[in-house]
Amino acid sequence: MRQFRGLALGASLLVLLGACSTGGGSKPTVKIGSDGFYEAKLMAEIYGQALEAKGFTVDRTGIGIGKRAVSAPALEGGQLDLKPEYIGSGLAYYDAGAGASAAPGASAATPATIDRGDPAAVATAFQAVLKTKGGGITLLNYSPAADQNAFVVRKETADQFHLTKMSDLAANSSLKLGVATDCPTNPVCGKALKDAYGIDVVSATLLSPCDTPMVKALLAKTIDVGELCSTQPDIAVNSWVVLQDDKKTQPADNIAPLVRDDLLGKLSAADKTTFEKVLNDVSAKMDTATLTDLGKQVSVDNKDIKVVATAWLKANSLV
Amino acid sequence: MTILGSVAAWLTDPANWTGPGGIPIRLAQHIGISVASLAIGAAIALPAGLWIGHTRRGVRLAINLANLGRAVPSLAAIGILVPFTVLIDPEAGFKVYPTLIAMVLLAVPPILVNSYAGISEVDPDLVESARGMGLRERQILSAVEIPIALPVIIGGLRSATVQVVATATLGAIYGLGALGSFIVEGSAQRDDAKLFGGVVLVALLALTSEGLLGLLQRRLTSPGLRFAAR
Repeated sequence: MRQFRGLALGASLLVLLGACSTGGGSKPTVKIGSDGFYEAKLMAEIYGQALEAKGFTVDRTGIGIGKRAVSAPALEGGQLDLKPEYIGSGLAYYDAGAGASAAPGASAATPATIDRGDPAAVATAFQAVLKTKGGGITLLNYSPAADQNAFVVRKETADQFHLTKMSDLAANSSLKLGVATDCPTNPVCGKALKDAYGIDVVSATLLSPCDTPMVKALLAKTIDVGELCSTQPDIAVNSWVVLQDDKKTQPADNIAPLVRDDLLGKLSAADKTTFEKVLNDVSAKMDTATLTDLGKQVSVDNKDIKVVATAWLKANSLV
Repeated sequence: MTILGSVAAWLTDPANWTGPGGIPIRLAQHIGISVASLAIGAAIALPAGLWIGHTRRGVRLAINLANLGRAVPSLAAIGILVPFTVLIDPEAGFKVYPTLIAMVLLAVPPILVNSYAGISEVDPDLVESARGMGLRERQILSAVEIPIALPVIIGGLRSATVQVVATATLGAIYGLGALGSFIVEGSAQRDDAKLFGGVVLVALLALTSEGLLGLLQRRLTSPGLRFAAR
């Protein structure tokens, strides 16, 4: 009798399990990833919580996986399904790759004529490149929130040399420059600085941008001009001055979710609509000032990324 | 196979052998920081190790300090040192001193431990008979203990050298230059040929200096010891 009861229990469990896996609640797990720094991790966490609120299952293993050279191949290879991206730098990354491989017709190189300062043009060009990557990647709506590369000087340097914009640097070649490690080969960095402002990065100190070494070097006066991210809290904390990019060399780096087409293909029509709407709502509600403030809460006030993400989503009725 | 070809092409491209970012200058920087930190490390660790080995005093303290030195990751040491060394000099204090000090910290443990171990393992009978023959303590150390312990002492220097040459690559993160910059830049610029070219250069330098010290080790080993080992 006891044996029979056990069998009955097992059978009913099986039925229950079967019901679960075939029921309407079945959605593929979304593998979210991001670059390694706080802002990318924060955006990825916001995407994750917003999706979870709509019943999606989220795998956060890839959040903070590493810089673009790591996270972009991971998205192409399917180790990640979704990641926040800065559209201008993302496009430049693939352009640089296309230039390096130089195989004819291997990659859709972006026409030089597009206005890289215009987010809509950049998004269109970026989407065209992404279609050819990793079996197809979709760029969802970009947010008004942008985090540009910004060249920053200390307040006293700005006062002493009367610096307000990038063009002012040309007359002050004695200033020590700190640029991103990839700057010499990055078309929107080394080449753009040379062409637009006549600044040569050959003798510049190469450091990880938007990161501790660059901030420390600027603090220590090892460099006078440093490449940081415009939303980086260190700028306000140290009262540093962002030089205006008056020749508009830096690309529009609005943030947008990148998602693999094969994940979208696995979703039912209704789920796909929900998925896209959730992420587009997040993009629509975020702006640069808010992003800067959330970044400060994480990297200066040392608040937990999850807590900051939840608070913002709740305040905007997204969860 | 293609990566081997592109690394070979990178290594033989004349453009990579000129200018401030070229291989000769960065190789010289790498040798410079390695030699400097090994010299400072040896200047600290050799006398200390010899003294501890001879007197058997402070053994526990020395071993614990050495293990502590091994436990601190060099990357962390560099990051921690930067805010202090920049007070000395904004330029070198950022780019050179942190890596130099971190490499000294890395070089000290193997040199210290090996010189202590080499001396302390000298046959006590030899030391006693030397003392019985009327040698002073300093003479015992220089005429008996050091010659016998020399292969072990240089062995410590060898492992310190390999570790320092390989780890000094980290300095590139804080703008040191040297061979590490090929690795850091190659990774950031998605230039695999540059990245692996840098790796090959570092490995070659480490193996060459290892080999040279190995030759020195053989040359300096007393013939009597060489015979005894056979």
